[in-house]
Amino acid sequence: MIDMRLLVGEEWAEWYSMTPAQRLEESSKLWQTYLELGGTLDPEPDPQSPFYDPEEWRAFTAHGRAGVRLVRRGGI
Amino acid sequence: MRSLLMGGQACVLYGAAEFSRDTDIVTVADAENLRRLQAAVEELRADRIAVPPFERRFLEAGHAVHFRCQLPGAEGIRLDVMSKIRGLPDFTVLWDRRTTLETAGETIDVLSLPDLVVAKKTQRDKDWPMITRLVEAHYAQHFAAADEKVIKFWLRELRSPAILIDVASSSPKACQSLLHERPLLQHAAAGSEELLRVALREEEDAEREADRHYWAPLKSELEQLRREHRRPRE
Repeated sequence: MIDMRLLVGEEWAEWYSMTPAQRLEESSKLWQTYLELGGTLDPEPDPQSPFYDPEEWRAFTAHGRAGVRLVRRGGI
Repeated sequence: MRSLLMGGQACVLYGAAEFSRDTDIVTVADAENLRRLQAAVEELRADRIAVPPFERRFLEAGHAVHFRCQLPGAEGIRLDVMSKIRGLPDFTVLWDRRTTLETAGETIDVLSLPDLVVAKKTQRDKDWPMITRLVEAHYAQHFAAADEKVIKFWLRELRSPAILIDVASSSPKACQSLLHERPLLQHAAAGSEELLRVALREEEDAEREADRHYWAPLKSELEQLRREHRRPRE
């Protein structure tokens, strides 16, 4: 048996050991934080998806989007 | 309504983690079930947001129908509905194999893990790490009490070389019996991690190509539908 903590790290090993209900709850918390920070439910453009429509994305970005906006760019 | 949760939310339930912004379901495309789905969509105040139209023939052809909910509390959530998925059998079979979870007093019917893994074998980069996580999570949760069926599932679907080598060495007979189905198991049995990595990549590339091939006619049909949808009405 492989020690999952060594193979995938503490964080993933902990996630794997949770019950589905616990994972659902943790995931919901992340979503709540994301939405409170101004995140959007709009999908990310996914050019690899068979459903991707470049026209739709051109129209979408032309109108901008609500949600998170950059107010200060840090250096690299 | 008979439907099964799939996609990112199902991945979270099984132990992977995907920041999925939509709810993906697979459903049976018969008249009665689609009538119920229509009622559910109306209840969610969901608008269809892209082609194809919500019609049985498109679902049966393998397309997805996309909705966006407007009901307060579910506002903005996308719902993608399919009834046919590459590599998977009819919905009735998927339904018989489903996983049912209970959480917060709610029952959730989910595509079975082996079926979800097959559904994730797509042309998209992001689906492949998800398969790795899904099967790894299953291994982490069941290694202590794995029967032959479970071991064979791992040997068929594991994508983590170290674990695959471990399972192959601890279950040589099962590994041998699946060599014809998954030739890369020979590298797992030999403990050759480097060759196994290369073979896993080749296996992934072949699946991605098969997925592109499967979607080619459907994508053409979608493009045609988009053109018709955008054409100004005379």
